[in-house]
Amino acid sequence: MEITQFQLDALREIGNIGSGHAATALSTLLQRRIDMSVPKVWAIPFEKIAEIIGQLDTPQATIYVKVEGEAPGKAVFFFPVESAQIVVQALFGTDKPMDIYSDEMAQSALKEVGNILVSSFLIALTQFSGIALQPSVPALAVDMIGASLDAIFLEEGMLDDLVLFIDTQLTGIPKIEGQFIFLPDEGSLEKLLGAMGL
Amino acid sequence: MSVVISVGMADYKTARAPEILLTAGLGSCIGICIRDPFLKVGGMSHIMLPTASKSLGGNPAKYADTALELLLKEILGMGAIRSRLKAKIAGGAQMFSFPGKPPVLKIGERNAEAVKEELRKHGIPLLVEDVGGSFGRTIYFDVGTGELRIRTINHGEKVI
Repeated sequence: MEITQFQLDALREIGNIGSGHAATALSTLLQRRIDMSVPKVWAIPFEKIAEIIGQLDTPQATIYVKVEGEAPGKAVFFFPVESAQIVVQALFGTDKPMDIYSDEMAQSALKEVGNILVSSFLIALTQFSGIALQPSVPALAVDMIGASLDAIFLEEGMLDDLVLFIDTQLTGIPKIEGQFIFLPDEGSLEKLLGAMGL
Repeated sequence: MSVVISVGMADYKTARAPEILLTAGLGSCIGICIRDPFLKVGGMSHIMLPTASKSLGGNPAKYADTALELLLKEILGMGAIRSRLKAKIAGGAQMFSFPGKPPVLKIGERNAEAVKEELRKHGIPLLVEDVGGSFGRTIYFDVGTGELRIRTINHGEKVI
């Protein structure tokens, strides 16, 4: 399907609301002020994501949930390992670095944070479309971003050619940045846009 | 320093010694490396899915079967001889697992199987493979020496 500039503008607005929810949730969780910047939004074919992400082998913490409901798909939030490290240490209130590659406590905390962030965006999508989207239990990979994303993209189910990509900068002290991606199953994006009157 | 040629997702490229072919961040995708050791030319293909037949068309470089044909055609076009060609492959990982739920379809494994089957069909010997696991790979293929260097984030680096 083709996506118009008008639809993209609307999606950017939804991205704004989503990152607003995400910033609030993170502020509460970390007990410090987190602000958000206006996100950029792209709807692109999956094979082009390298153009947005840049280096596909940069290590990032990637949280992945399957989305069920009337407009199913896959939702992903990823952030650089440095940001993930900061979040985990803040959560445990420690200055000692934790090994996010193998420490189970750190990984389970990351999954939870990722889940909250992903849900923030899903809630925004639901608010605008009226379509309920239920996230599954989160899965985590701390690895090359390209590797994590191709595995998500290719795992079961027919996907739409287009991937909805929302760039967010969550800034506070310290700086945390991340990106949200929604990979709609075939037909889901049309359904969402249709329900929003777009 | 050799020239490094980057191969994107669902993409393929050819090279001549001393050029190096690179594909970054392979998850369940597979990097297929093929080379004529006498002429020192070769190519790399980054495939995403096993076969084109089950899908609705699109980019042929995305699928093991159609991508290999394209790659071979280009390598042979550079003067390589089919009977001299040798292959090495890497990738096909399972990056995520959901607790209590076996994956319905291990796409990484299926990709690896499909690539091997296609190589057999074309009569190209597979010298070595580094597939599976649950981690991403960045691979560098030196068409001059045939060395395939595999880098990971947390599982070391090796040359096969």
